[in-house]
Amino acid sequence: MPMLVRKSLRDYRRALIGWTIGICVFVGMYTSFFPQMHQNPDFYNQAAIAKYPDSLRKLMGGLENIASGTGFLQAVVYQLFVPMLFIMCAVILGNKAIAAPEESGTLELTLTLPLDRKRLVVERFAALALGLLGIAVASLAVVTILGSSVDLGVAFDRILAAHTGLYLLVLFFGTLALAVGAATGRKALAMSVAGVYAVAGYVVNALAADIEAMRWLNRLSPFYYYSEGNPLVNGFPTGDYLVLLAGTAVLVLTAVLAFDRRDVGV
Amino acid sequence: MTAVVETEGLTKFYGKRRGLEDLTFEIRPGEVFGYLGPNGAGKTTTIRLLLDVIRPTRGVARVLGAEPRDAAVRGRIGYLPGELALEGREKASEYLRFLAGVRGGVAKGRIEALGERLEADLSVKMGQLSKGNKQKVGLIQAFMHEPEFLILDEPTSGLDPLVQQEFLAMVREARTAGRTVLMSSHVLAEVEHVSDRVGIVRGGRLVAVEDVAALREKAVRRVEFHFDAPVPEEAFRGLPGVRDLKVEGTSVSCTIDGRPDALIKVAARFTVVHMVSAEPDLEEIFLTYYSEDVHHAHVGA
Ligand SMILES: Nc1ncnc2c1ncn2[C@@H]1O[C@H](COP(=O)(O)OP(=O)(O)OP(=O)(O)O)[C@@H](O)[C@H]1O
Ligand SMILES: [Mg+2]
Repeated sequence: MPMLVRKSLRDYRRALIGWTIGICVFVGMYTSFFPQMHQNPDFYNQAAIAKYPDSLRKLMGGLENIASGTGFLQAVVYQLFVPMLFIMCAVILGNKAIAAPEESGTLELTLTLPLDRKRLVVERFAALALGLLGIAVASLAVVTILGSSVDLGVAFDRILAAHTGLYLLVLFFGTLALAVGAATGRKALAMSVAGVYAVAGYVVNALAADIEAMRWLNRLSPFYYYSEGNPLVNGFPTGDYLVLLAGTAVLVLTAVLAFDRRDVGV
Repeated sequence: MTAVVETEGLTKFYGKRRGLEDLTFEIRPGEVFGYLGPNGAGKTTTIRLLLDVIRPTRGVARVLGAEPRDAAVRGRIGYLPGELALEGREKASEYLRFLAGVRGGVAKGRIEALGERLEADLSVKMGQLSKGNKQKVGLIQAFMHEPEFLILDEPTSGLDPLVQQEFLAMVREARTAGRTVLMSSHVLAEVEHVSDRVGIVRGGRLVAVEDVAALREKAVRRVEFHFDAPVPEEAFRGLPGVRDLKVEGTSVSCTIDGRPDALIKVAARFTVVHMVSAEPDLEEIFLTYYSEDVHHAHVGA
């Protein structure tokens, strides 16, 4: 493993462990509620409908079929809270690549090592991608193991497909933060850009089902490519995932080129 | 031999703010170059330009025969940043090993030896190091791979006097080994004993480059002789460079400008019981010589 990747992962270690535990606990807790739902399907279906007003329920992905394994998993794990939490983690890690060390001043010495600036960005991206992959794999294991112990009845390949989408989604937003940081060196700006895009993207995607005007806008939302193919039911939506991956690639390229051109630490 | 640093019209503006303007100078192989100037003069700006941390608005710089953008050339440089930031839970020794690894490794035991020499405790987490100890870690990483060219931005800041002496010894050793050093400082006194040449930058412009030995020769110094018997004033009158001559019984005092040779030879004709020679204050000459007014007069002429 290239030295800077290893070093970055070592620096991220505490954050990675913390986020892994946080996300896994979150995922595990929700997954383990399933037996209750499953045993009282009518009650929970009714409750879900009664508890949330129509518009809010739409924002939460409909909450239909919450008593079936697939519907349940979609609603509690892949819909709102877990992706948002995971995105928050990705954005914070993305900021650790360039913007945070630049603001604290520690980037200057790294920059004067015999390392090409382009390589620096690429290796920091690799560390981000690997770190997020670690969290994704751990949480996938939690969903799979707990899921089978509570008899979710969702095939592993479907869970894998959905989890891959989750990983690509958070990688995209993490890379967005990295790219804004690489281009500007501003942590807060990177955080806001990624945060606003994530929230706006989510809302647009949730409302697009009902509002015609949102449909074309939805094409700009990463959440569209994340959820449209319904991977828990249909398996890998390869085309959609490739779009997410291509978006990430464009961001990496932008980050590399922008960082290579500018003054650091001014 | 080609110059270690060569700049031409090197200029950096931060937006409208001037950082450095029209710097043309060179640093020769094997010399220690003291880079002096008050706060905000442009020292750090110059150094960051040489290391490609920032990019010039105009002009060019070549370092070790290559462009600063060339990453490979940075492996031959040891750099101590002026605003060194070290943080986190990582131990200083681990961080140093990482830096050494990226630079292609350092001799075994080298880090520990430097740590002992500067009395730095490398087992401390970097975020908990005191200012002076951070500076020591900064120095160790700059020196550890025995680079051809050392760029040290205010290396003595935060160091106690004993460690400062040790540091100066390290600079001397580097020069003896044929390495080149660029070090910045606010005061001449800090660098004059190790520098071959000094450059003064002020308000973003290089106002003077002087040879330290030549400067010392120009220096005015106060000298006092005490003899075992009264001496005739005529013997000391009219000697080259001797001024403010005062002969009072058995003692002679004067200031001398340049070499003390003639004075010493005359004094040697009598029996000298005691002699006082104050260290010349280069700083003072420098400051008067290059005070703002003088500088403007130079430029105007
Ligand atoms: N990031 C920046 N943005 C705007 N102006 C800057 C920036 N960095 C430096 N300057 C300006 O450039 C000039 C030169 O600054 P520089 O840091 O090179 O001075 P210096 O000689 O290193 O001073 P010091 O002895 O205080 O370290 C100053 O006027 C400073 O205000
Ligand atoms: Mg400075």
